[in-house]
Amino acid sequence: MSVAAATTVIGKHRTTAVASNPDRRRRVRTAFLFLTPSLIGVVLFLVIPVIFVMVLSLTRWNLLTPIQWVGFSNYANIFRFDGFGHSLLVTAYYVVLNIPVQTVLALGLALLLNSQRRGSAFIRVICVLPFLATPVAMGVVWNWFFSPTGMINQFLAHLGITGPAWLSDQATAMPVIAFANIWQYAGYNMLFFLAGLQAIPLSLYEAASIDGATKIQQFRRVTLPLLRPALMFVLVTGVIGSFQVFDTVYVMTAGGPGNATKVANLNIYNTAFAGFRIGEASAMSVVLFLIILVVAIAQFTYFNRRTTYEIA
Amino acid sequence: MASVASVTPAARSASAATTGESRPGLGKGIRLAVFYLLLLVILLVFVTPYLFSAFAAFKTLPEILAQSPARPPTNPTWDNFKTIFTQYDFGRYLLNTLIVTVILTAGQVTFSMMGAYAFARMEFPGRDSLFWMYLATLMVPNVVTMVPLYVMFAHSGLLNTYWAIFLPYVLGVPASVFLMRQYFMTIPKEVMEAARLDGCSESRILWRIVVPISRPIIITATLLAVVFGWNNFLWPLIVTNSNALQVLPVATANLNSNFNSQWNLVLAGSLVALIPMVILFAIFQKYIVRSISLTGINR
Repeated sequence: MSVAAATTVIGKHRTTAVASNPDRRRRVRTAFLFLTPSLIGVVLFLVIPVIFVMVLSLTRWNLLTPIQWVGFSNYANIFRFDGFGHSLLVTAYYVVLNIPVQTVLALGLALLLNSQRRGSAFIRVICVLPFLATPVAMGVVWNWFFSPTGMINQFLAHLGITGPAWLSDQATAMPVIAFANIWQYAGYNMLFFLAGLQAIPLSLYEAASIDGATKIQQFRRVTLPLLRPALMFVLVTGVIGSFQVFDTVYVMTAGGPGNATKVANLNIYNTAFAGFRIGEASAMSVVLFLIILVVAIAQFTYFNRRTTYEIA
Repeated sequence: MASVASVTPAARSASAATTGESRPGLGKGIRLAVFYLLLLVILLVFVTPYLFSAFAAFKTLPEILAQSPARPPTNPTWDNFKTIFTQYDFGRYLLNTLIVTVILTAGQVTFSMMGAYAFARMEFPGRDSLFWMYLATLMVPNVVTMVPLYVMFAHSGLLNTYWAIFLPYVLGVPASVFLMRQYFMTIPKEVMEAARLDGCSESRILWRIVVPISRPIIITATLLAVVFGWNNFLWPLIVTNSNALQVLPVATANLNSNFNSQWNLVLAGSLVALIPMVILFAIFQKYIVRSISLTGINR
């Protein structure tokens, strides 16, 4: 009797203790099951390649002959023989042409279209359409628009201006490429500013106008500081993307005229897949990566400091 | 003194009020006109490239060269499309792009969602450090992984296969995981706990409870995957060189370099790539506009 009671007590005790343990273990197993596909993806296609590219950058290799270790010489050679310094400058030029205009336009669009007037909702939608456009296909359309006898120059001719040969002119080729990308992403970036604008409480503007702030003062003191998170998102993602520009350049100029639009990504592509110089191309990738990283971190720290300051 | 001090602000506000009132009568009309003029300019800037290239795709080359691009085709011809579909196999490229985009999207969204749910609402050892790893890889630009990935694919004999085109993106990507994880975090824990007490399995919770209430973010992730898959150019360009595996962006670029100024053909080719996205946009525009903004808010 007493023995039986004791076993049931022990049994009871055991069931609760053990039941929670396999339950927990099963849940952990399920969690890892859920995680496995993306974990394989992240490790195999992101983590390993990042390590691998650094290893490859120390080699001379054309995929066929045996790998040769060359130390850090690729990092000097890409600047000496492959014009990578020039490519970085060209890329920086593109970023400088692209980002400020795109950001200001996106903000302008948001301010203009954040309105209850009829038609603004429709135009807001239209602005986002280019975001879906295939950059390569749009590049072809711009080639046509900016061809020497194309629509832009026809239009300028009406005004009595002889237009340049846009894409085969060293001075205009890069601005045209920047234009193509601004056209594509200004409306997309507008959405983040719109979301930011709509999150600002109207009472802040009422308070500001009671205090006698002009519209311009309200914009500078209320709107801009509160748009800072949206601005940071637009700038950080925009800059990271711009440093990698490829599609439009490939279709519109293929790096020309001369090397005027030979951006870093195009140089990497040519070195790796036309020249099959894997080591040099990897070294270029690593350098570009470091530059993007430094710029992104600089933006983060700048915005974080400023934002805390504003809120405090 | 005191009277002056008390009068000045009042006078100022009164004058402000009068100028403020006198403005709307004349100024409102002008402002309205400027507003709609700007809307018209925006509309033209964003729609013209689509419209004019659509016009041109239905013209012959001599017509394109002679006529204003703003003029709709007088006797529209399907010849350009016939040429690119019969002589250049654009039907095949369209199908390739469709297949790759569908597989890439289905895999990326499903697997990212599963990962996001595990990070957001399940407990397991190493969760935080793994999440940090995902966050760190979020910052890795595509250009960095391009060369080593090519080498890896070459060595596993995967070059020139459908697999090569979508494999790096189909298992889930950190951006998508992060996006959905942020959203799932806003779902009250109690909802899942109640379901667990009722004996619901984790996959049932995910598919029957989390997915239905997370529709906006799943639509966002799907849309971003579709746009990425459809427009992706550099990676397919690198890993495929057989004609049969070309996707539309690669085929369009090839057409462009082979038929440099034959605008009738290259514009028709571009249109084949552009139009499906325009249709997608026309159908889902409300969702698209709303859902893209979600990606910014959640960061």
